[in-house]
Amino acid sequence: MNINPSTAFRDKCAIVGIGNSRLGKVPGVSSLDLLVEAMVNALDDAGLKTSDIDGLICRGPDDAYGHHQLIGARLGINANISTTMDNGGASQILSIAMAVMAIEAGLATTVLCGFGRDAWSRTHVTEEARVRNETRPASQRPREFGPEYGYFGAVAAHAFGAQRHMHLYGTTRDHFAEIAIAFREHALRNPQAQMKKPLTKADYDAARLIVAPFGLFDCSLRSDAAGAVIVTKKDRAKDLKQPPVPIKGFGSFNNLRGWFMDDNMVVTAAKKSGETAYKMAGLGPQDVDTAQLYDCFTYMVLTQLEDYGFCKKGEGGEFVASGALKLGGRLPTNTSGGQLSESHCEGMLQIVEGARQMRHTYGAERQVKDAEIALISGHGGNQVCHSTLILGRA
Amino acid sequence: MSDASISDKPQKPIPRPSPESAPYWEAAAQHKLRVQKCNACGQHWFPPSQRCPHCTAADFSWAEVSGRGKVFSFVVFHRVYHPAFEGEVPYVVALVELAEGPRLLTNIVGIAPDEVRCEMAVKVLFEDVAAGVAVPKFTPA
Repeated sequence: MNINPSTAFRDKCAIVGIGNSRLGKVPGVSSLDLLVEAMVNALDDAGLKTSDIDGLICRGPDDAYGHHQLIGARLGINANISTTMDNGGASQILSIAMAVMAIEAGLATTVLCGFGRDAWSRTHVTEEARVRNETRPASQRPREFGPEYGYFGAVAAHAFGAQRHMHLYGTTRDHFAEIAIAFREHALRNPQAQMKKPLTKADYDAARLIVAPFGLFDCSLRSDAAGAVIVTKKDRAKDLKQPPVPIKGFGSFNNLRGWFMDDNMVVTAAKKSGETAYKMAGLGPQDVDTAQLYDCFTYMVLTQLEDYGFCKKGEGGEFVASGALKLGGRLPTNTSGGQLSESHCEGMLQIVEGARQMRHTYGAERQVKDAEIALISGHGGNQVCHSTLILGRA
Repeated sequence: MSDASISDKPQKPIPRPSPESAPYWEAAAQHKLRVQKCNACGQHWFPPSQRCPHCTAADFSWAEVSGRGKVFSFVVFHRVYHPAFEGEVPYVVALVELAEGPRLLTNIVGIAPDEVRCEMAVKVLFEDVAAGVAVPKFTPA
């Protein structure tokens, strides 16, 4: 079905507060407390108080049902609109899209959005946790059509797409290495990043295979991490502490038939999600100065670069090999180090970094020079849910 | 809490059928590959569900299929996620597209992992894994 995304939302709202928690290994702090930390930082950044917030949309691993109530209780917030988002790693951008729609509908004025999880602590603090490793509770794990074949985990699911792409287009692990190495270089410029050591091609090649074609450095981190942003009317944003970051467009698409169906593992939901966001913003890939893409695995960056039109389908390998993703390159991508090297926060830190780039927060070593437009993606929910956010400059 | 990963003698997970999937596993136990076929639109589907995902009709049969197909994509497990697979790595998990259309997650056996290719022709075989339980796997055709 063709949709007609409304341009009425373009530039109406802005991100006015940005915050993150401590990142990486933060033992002894729950997912909820990490998110509260990030939200308080976002409030301080904006110069707002909890009493200014009348919308709360969030997500975390603890309680898909009623997570927002747990956060609201901790922050002492009552809200006109509040819910927990359930769209996997695409939830975080969808929360912001919903905030804009709620504000434009007059249901709220100032919406706090965020995500936090203690994925490092819950898988490393005890030996039992480390052995169990998978964060999904036993009751929710598949009963058939997977475990009997030794099929477990998100690495394998995404590796299927990587293998198919390699078959169709001649993409190689050398291309995936380009992505891992570029993001690690960015992480080294980010004092908050979990990964502190350089990554060479030799390191990449020598690393153990996890589920081929993915090796260790194709896989994102397990992190304790949270991020939060505050969305309000752009007009109102002028009176606040920080320069507003206007929301120019957003999109969403969900290949609900499944990752294993059709060509979904090679042409992902990013394609239609991106088309929607571009239409709403009145922009195209040629206008984007920096991308903050959901990098759960290296291959997912490569296929999204194609799906978002930064290069043609099948040419992602060549594109990344050109050095385009590096700071100073044609499309500096994941300038914080991303989930591969900064911290994995299910896409929330991509939003945080995109917004900070649009504020021109950073010194020359990390700032994308003269950046006016940032494209941010979220991906998840068994690989089929996708959302897109396009931010600009005030 | 006990868990398969910390028990003494790790066993590979045995499929635990749902009411929807029981006929699939009953057929597999007899070394037959059956998937649902819509009596309204004629298309096959998998995994099992009570309505045709192509046309939403509820009228279907469990149709025996050829057991022939091709590898749509595959991965090679090097990491041991479950201790019962410790002696098996590296092993291949593949998505096989049956000649009739549906795609099945399975293992490719009888071939070295580094020789498996996308689009490779494969055929089904059955591995008896417990009393009355067999698991369909695929091997080069």
